[in-house]
Amino acid sequence: MFQNRAEALALALPAAIFAAAVFLVPVVILLSDGFRNPTGGWSVSAYIEFFSNPLNQAVFLRTLKLGALVTVTAAVIGYAAAFAIVNLEPGMKGKVTGLVVLPLMISPVARTYAWIVILGRTGIVNEAFQALGLTQAPLRILFSETAIFIGLLQLFLPLMIISLISALENMPKDAVPAARVLGANWLQVFWKVILPLTKEGLVIGGTLVFTGCLTAYITPAILGGSKVLMLETLLYQQVSVSNNFVAASVIAFILIAMSFAANILLKRVATARNKQRRAAA
Amino acid sequence: MNKVILASGTALMLTAMAALSPAMAQDKTLTISVYALSQDEYKEIVYDPFQEICGCKLVVETGNSVERLAKMEANKANPVIDMAVVSMADALSAARAGLIDKIDTAKLENFNKLYDIAKDPNGDGMSIGYTFYATSIAYRSDKMKIESWADLLKPEYASHIAWPNVTTNQGPPALYMLGQALGKDTPDLAAAIEAVGDKKDEIVTFYEKSSQLVQLMKQEEIWAAPIGRFTWAPFTKLGLPVEWATPKEGQTGGMNVMIMPKGGKNADLALQFMDFWLSTEVQTKLAEKFIDSPANKDVKVSEEVANNLTYGEETAKSLKLIPSAVALDNRAGWIKSWNEKVGQ
Repeated sequence: MFQNRAEALALALPAAIFAAAVFLVPVVILLSDGFRNPTGGWSVSAYIEFFSNPLNQAVFLRTLKLGALVTVTAAVIGYAAAFAIVNLEPGMKGKVTGLVVLPLMISPVARTYAWIVILGRTGIVNEAFQALGLTQAPLRILFSETAIFIGLLQLFLPLMIISLISALENMPKDAVPAARVLGANWLQVFWKVILPLTKEGLVIGGTLVFTGCLTAYITPAILGGSKVLMLETLLYQQVSVSNNFVAASVIAFILIAMSFAANILLKRVATARNKQRRAAA
Repeated sequence: MNKVILASGTALMLTAMAALSPAMAQDKTLTISVYALSQDEYKEIVYDPFQEICGCKLVVETGNSVERLAKMEANKANPVIDMAVVSMADALSAARAGLIDKIDTAKLENFNKLYDIAKDPNGDGMSIGYTFYATSIAYRSDKMKIESWADLLKPEYASHIAWPNVTTNQGPPALYMLGQALGKDTPDLAAAIEAVGDKKDEIVTFYEKSSQLVQLMKQEEIWAAPIGRFTWAPFTKLGLPVEWATPKEGQTGGMNVMIMPKGGKNADLALQFMDFWLSTEVQTKLAEKFIDSPANKDVKVSEEVANNLTYGEETAKSLKLIPSAVALDNRAGWIKSWNEKVGQ
């Protein structure tokens, strides 16, 4: 396309400089704080200190656990929803996709506050449970991991559904009928046909959801509060209250590393299945 | 020829400047550093009228206290601002850092009208309180009876209360009072933090934004919470029997103070401004708009205003504030032990 590499590089240069100046350099400066010891040398003592604190361990594991749970649940619900949507007639498909996207246009603050009403002791969930005789006294759902899980799932499920819709739409239309004709049951169809053909969408959706869970501040802050700290709420506490920028930098690094790790892991899972298939063929 | 024109022009300009100089001497600038809240009302009630009186220009810098203190530290050698308003503990922190000076209260006509608690909150002569607030317990009088701070942790109540997180402004004062109620009043707040930690699973939430409490109270998620008086008004409009507790240990709270940087260039003008702000007239107007509870005891307000503020000599006297030095020296320790006992 280009006469020479120099031309291509010249065109990419402004964007590269911009990204480096406003993103890469500040991030490196920010993260390097975590690798400084008090005397100015380099060390990982801040990380050792961070992980030796039982509170931080608990918060780290909770963040990892909730992120993974939300991602897996979103994938399960997302596949079902996306599959149903792509099989709708064209007019309906647009409308339903619009409905899926709609929550993304509402502020997370409003959406999260709504959960306080819904999940409260006098909220609709508890009233339904009591009416059905599932529980005598109202359950305490608010300010728990359950509340954060529900809030995050509702927040990020649309991202998974959208990613999966586009992946499913790009799948050859006759792949599923062909598999059925050849005698595959629905589980086999999903496992051997749909999943390998839509893995890109799953990787994108999974990364978006997991990364979203790691970076969402409002939802864990409102539905969990300081009673159920996540890494992001702990980060805020370290900066704005304790003025401990080293610990904050450590948490920031951990969050970035977790996002990358999730992305790599998801890609691995997807390509591993490919290799298996190639090996089998 | 050109030189002659230039010379006469210069002479003319010099004459003109000489004639203007008396007016320019009055054209002073006073720079103040304040919280960003309610600036429209402050402009109307404090800043504009003062500019009329002093014939000077007022420059207002705003920001949160961390930013503003950092700026004062950076400009230590050559102060930019002439006065600032901060919290009691921040004033002590600035005093320890050598950033502020003693205030010449003899030049403040309104100084003797202040409640005693506001005259010298840190005992170093470097700050004057201009407003304060009480912290006590808002509670459902039909569900519970609060006579002591320790009542909140009773088994039958604990699962219906919200407690301020240690990182909020209300957190340490509430723990401080709980410590008094438990008879274990140590600066590290250890007994109180432990007591809250024992009930951490029952307590509904450790709130960080008091605005959240009104909703929790409305949907009966909570029956009680320690709050600052400045957030009290919305609770009275819920249509529920919510009352302001007067525990036997007393109420706690906080105070905001005025400070002057060391080496400020317009000290006299700054004092004149502070005196104006502390005057009965200005403090009354600020109270009537629910901006600041008055520190001037001559201020008289209607019952409605009094109900929304921290008002009156009795209230002022009864407030048990955490000494600034205790807050500064222990803040990090409080958060650490809170995270160990309550946070996990």
